Amino acid sequence: MAANEDNKKQTLKECCLDEEFMQDEQNQKLIDEIAKENILLTKEIQKLEAELQEATRNSQINEDIPETKIKFTSVENPESDSQFSNISYSCQVSSKVPYELQKGQALITFEKEEVAQNVIRRGGHYVQLQDVNVKMMAKPVTLNSGVRFQVHVEVSKMKVNVTEIPDILPESQMRDKLELSFCKSRNGGGEVESVEYDKQSGSAVITFVESGVADKILKMKDYPLYINQNCHRVIVSPYTETHLKKFQVFSGVAKRTVLLTGMEDLQKTDEETVGDFINIHFQREKNGGGEVEVVTCSLGQSHIAYFEE
Amino acid sequence: MLALHTLQEEQARLKMRLQELRRKLRDVPKDKVPFPVPEAPLVFRGHIQQDREMAKSVISKLQICYPLPGGSALVIFDDPNVAKQVLQQKEHKINVEEFWLRVQVQPLELPMLTTIQVSSQMSDQRVLVSGFPAELKLSEEELLDKLEIFFGKTKNGGGDVEMRELLQGGVMLGFAKDGVAQRLCQTGQFTVPLGKQQVPLRVSPYVSGTIQKAEVRSQLVPQAVLVLNIPDVLDGPELQDILEVHFQKPTRGGGEVEALRVVPLGHRGLAVFTAKSG
Repeated sequence: MAANEDNKKQTLKECCLDEEFMQDEQNQKLIDEIAKENILLTKEIQKLEAELQEATRNSQINEDIPETKIKFTSVENPESDSQFSNISYSCQVSSKVPYELQKGQALITFEKEEVAQNVIRRGGHYVQLQDVNVKMMAKPVTLNSGVRFQVHVEVSKMKVNVTEIPDILPESQMRDKLELSFCKSRNGGGEVESVEYDKQSGSAVITFVESGVADKILKMKDYPLYINQNCHRVIVSPYTETHLKKFQVFSGVAKRTVLLTGMEDLQKTDEETVGDFINIHFQREKNGGGEVEVVTCSLGQSHIAYFEE
Repeated sequence: MLALHTLQEEQARLKMRLQELRRKLRDVPKDKVPFPVPEAPLVFRGHIQQDREMAKSVISKLQICYPLPGGSALVIFDDPNVAKQVLQQKEHKINVEEFWLRVQVQPLELPMLTTIQVSSQMSDQRVLVSGFPAELKLSEEELLDKLEIFFGKTKNGGGDVEMRELLQGGVMLGFAKDGVAQRLCQTGQFTVPLGKQQVPLRVSPYVSGTIQKAEVRSQLVPQAVLVLNIPDVLDGPELQDILEVHFQKPTRGGGEVEALRVVPLGHRGLAVFTAKSG
């Protein structure tokens, strides 16, 4: 009897073990499947991340503006108080649209749109380059889009930014100390209209009643803040507001510039020399051309050419 | 069991990340936008990538306005060295018949944008309205008002207009509520009453820009001298003459004056500067 029971238990155990074994096998299969899917997902994520980085980079304007010489134009009457309390700067920024000029291609810009259109209409042109005659095809240039926008900057004559304020007093008390220090004319200050204080960042914006006080204070890099018997030097900097206006994407259209192809066999030749010959050829009316402004060739290597307004 | 559970969690996380990336990619404008935008004629002037000094953007319409307080004057000298010389003395005593006018002089520094970083993205709440005929005889304000009226009505598919801006070749409208922009772009074509005419206009998605970084630095105007705290004893034209005579005297370190403008006490002025061409 006992033996039978033992046997049953053994079979049951074996059955259970079998089941467990099958369960484990199924689990393992599932695990393998999911692991495989995860690898595929990770690969796709990496691909999209790279795409996103590339696309974001291309949609950014990142410009270091070279120094521009300024000239005096006139003195006007300020129309409003706000015009008088700020030094205002404004300019328009237009991106140059890049175009990849492949090896064996050239770009030629004519003075007149009409000439460019005629050259394209004619299609094939036989151009003499020193000792070889090359058949070139004239085509329109397909351009990407660019952006254009206005930047407006207002530098306040009534406010200053204050930073590196020590966090040693409760908010309301520190605000009072700031007002007291910044209204002392012997330190370069003046009557204070208002104080905005951010305890967490240790910074503040001080607004003065009169214009011109800010300028005086900003001549120094720091300013004395008196708390009890101690003097703390806080950093002062201009209060500036920057705005973007009239942001717009435009589609580039080349009206006076033509693409010339067919120079793939000239890779060993000097780009400038070929450019000169092309210039001479298309300068002649009898060749269907006209006044040429600029010619650039890509022979041994491709170039990125920039189109502008 | 634990391994399975962990892997399933990871998959859920990966799927969410994938969705997020797909959404972001859709919102980033491509090199050639898949919807109509106004055209701009462009020209190749010889700038290729090797020219590292050449900027990749064109800066134009530069204007700086500098407030001049009452009792001040702006002197522009022909020669920047003369300005430098004049500025060596912080205080100038100007001879007026039997008495002396005490004034302060200061160099003029103007803010200049040196770095700009702008990123662009598809806007959920703004649209571009375009297709305006060239002969349209409305002022900017009139045109914007009429468009705001038309696209402000829900019966036209619009909604509350929060922002409007005239651009080259189009108008940007920004809506307060979500969904309005998408709805209008889907319809696409509208006939809008503009004055006496019914004009067919197109509505398309708008790409908006955000400033990521803007650096401003002070630039000295080498020929300029600011004269401040001029006592109120002479009237405008007389003061102008006296100052011109003083600052042109070579014995006082002065020289040829290109321009001199006086702002009398009680008045305010705005000095306007633009970019030197060529």
